[in-house]
Amino acid sequence: MIVASHLTKRYPGRLAVDDVSFDVGTREVVGFLGPNGSGKSTTMRMLCGYLAPTGGTARVAGYDIIRNPMDVRRRIGYLPENCPLYPEMRVDEYLDFRAALKGVPGRKRRPRREEVKALCGLTDAGRRIIGNLSKGYRQRVGLAEALIHDPELLILDEPTIGLDPNQIRQVRELIRELGRRHAILLSTHILSEVEAVCRRVVIIKDGRIAAADTTERLIHRIQGACHVHAEVRAPRADLLTALREWPEIETLEADQDGDWLRLRLRGPAGADPREKIAALAAARGWPLRELSRESGNLEDFFVSITREQREEQPGHV
Amino acid sequence: MSSFWVLWRKELAGYFLSPVAYVTTAFFLLVMGLVFYLLTGILAAGTPGVGLMNLMFGSPFYWMTQLVVVPVLTMRLFAEERRMGTLETLLTAPITDTQVVAAKFAGVFSFYTIMWIPTALFLVGLQAYAAESPPLDPGVIAAGYFGMLLSGAMYLAIGLLCSLTTSNQIVAAISCFSLLILVLFAGFVEYLTAHPAARILTDLMAPHRHMMDFARGVVDTRPVIYFVSVTIGCLFTAVRLLESRQWR
Repeated sequence: MIVASHLTKRYPGRLAVDDVSFDVGTREVVGFLGPNGSGKSTTMRMLCGYLAPTGGTARVAGYDIIRNPMDVRRRIGYLPENCPLYPEMRVDEYLDFRAALKGVPGRKRRPRREEVKALCGLTDAGRRIIGNLSKGYRQRVGLAEALIHDPELLILDEPTIGLDPNQIRQVRELIRELGRRHAILLSTHILSEVEAVCRRVVIIKDGRIAAADTTERLIHRIQGACHVHAEVRAPRADLLTALREWPEIETLEADQDGDWLRLRLRGPAGADPREKIAALAAARGWPLRELSRESGNLEDFFVSITREQREEQPGHV
Repeated sequence: MSSFWVLWRKELAGYFLSPVAYVTTAFFLLVMGLVFYLLTGILAAGTPGVGLMNLMFGSPFYWMTQLVVVPVLTMRLFAEERRMGTLETLLTAPITDTQVVAAKFAGVFSFYTIMWIPTALFLVGLQAYAAESPPLDPGVIAAGYFGMLLSGAMYLAIGLLCSLTTSNQIVAAISCFSLLILVLFAGFVEYLTAHPAARILTDLMAPHRHMMDFARGVVDTRPVIYFVSVTIGCLFTAVRLLESRQWR
């Protein structure tokens, strides 16, 4: 659905997007992950025809974004960051206006409007003035607008930013639902969001692609850098001697808390020493009151990604 | 319905939803009503040599309304969209930049035209209550309104261009106001210097003189070309300016 090849955007004195290539397949939900200011929005704006790339190009549904911008726009439903809407309009009015602008034929407009309203949970909000809606409802109006012409591709720029946890869950649910019929490119800086809805992830950092892989494999890589916490009541020396021999553990820290030993372990990618720790404690009759694995977070992940790149560099040169 | 008409309709409807447009229209009709009041007084006194349309389109009151109405009507066109961020949704819809500029211009021009319609009722009233044979010459009236619309198109195009350069409506209004003052004052340059070029400039540009001509019923092609070409020039620049976002 999207084939981006060597997209580059140079602002005076700053390279916002640097040689970015990736693709999004039909009915595939792809997460565009990166910290703020990493070039996610700029890339999306280029795909939607708001900005022109300085170099490279992309094809959307087979149409070149530079040569056939109108054909591309007709096939994209775009929700920009912060979800801009006209506050003085009513929801129905706005959706009808956008449907007409996007070329939905007159007699199909009303049924289509009701359809997307039902999909986005806006059925009762048609007569309400957009300016009076809550942030969550506005986000739904933005999504409904992006969907109104039944585009093949949805480009959503941080669709859950500023929403409360319930609304975030609803929006994610909706995105997952939409992923069955549309290709979706979704930007975010929240890792759990990607985990929840995306099949593949493209990670962008300082305008460059830092990693691109399936969500599953990336999460696996992230978790390699994660820690296991354990609290065991055991003689310090015995426990540490036993653990130091394990290949699953690379670093080990232990704090004393009364009788209890508080352990923080770090292992290589893919390792999970929890089962072995539990077995060890059971075998020696040591009480175990906590055993948990810290799930990966973006911060750790960026650290690990950039570290990997630094390590790889000498090999490439 | 093509994208142009969809946007035109939305823009025009937007004025009817906006309190600013109503307040402006009220101000405009108040001043024009005053003009009409003075006009009937002058006609009743039978002052010779004063044309009816000349009073409507040649008086300082006319300029006062233009200098207020045009900046206020045009200031929101792009500045508001830019501030709200809706410019991005608008410019990523399947509509060309040229269509956006044309539709927004057509929208404000339509509202401007509608705003003038009640003034035609003044003339109908005058016709109905005039004791003697009707003093109204439809040709002169048509010429007056034609000139008003043409020059109005030019001022609105200048206002649209100003609105495109900023995300602040106040800045847009004031820069438009200043440019209109400049355009108006270009008609008085010959009083400042005896240089022959000043004379030519004044003849070409003086909007107040052009309006006097139209108000007398004289439709000269030179002012027509002047108004139309400046309008098109401003709109063309506006399209280019809008496109330039892609490259900056």
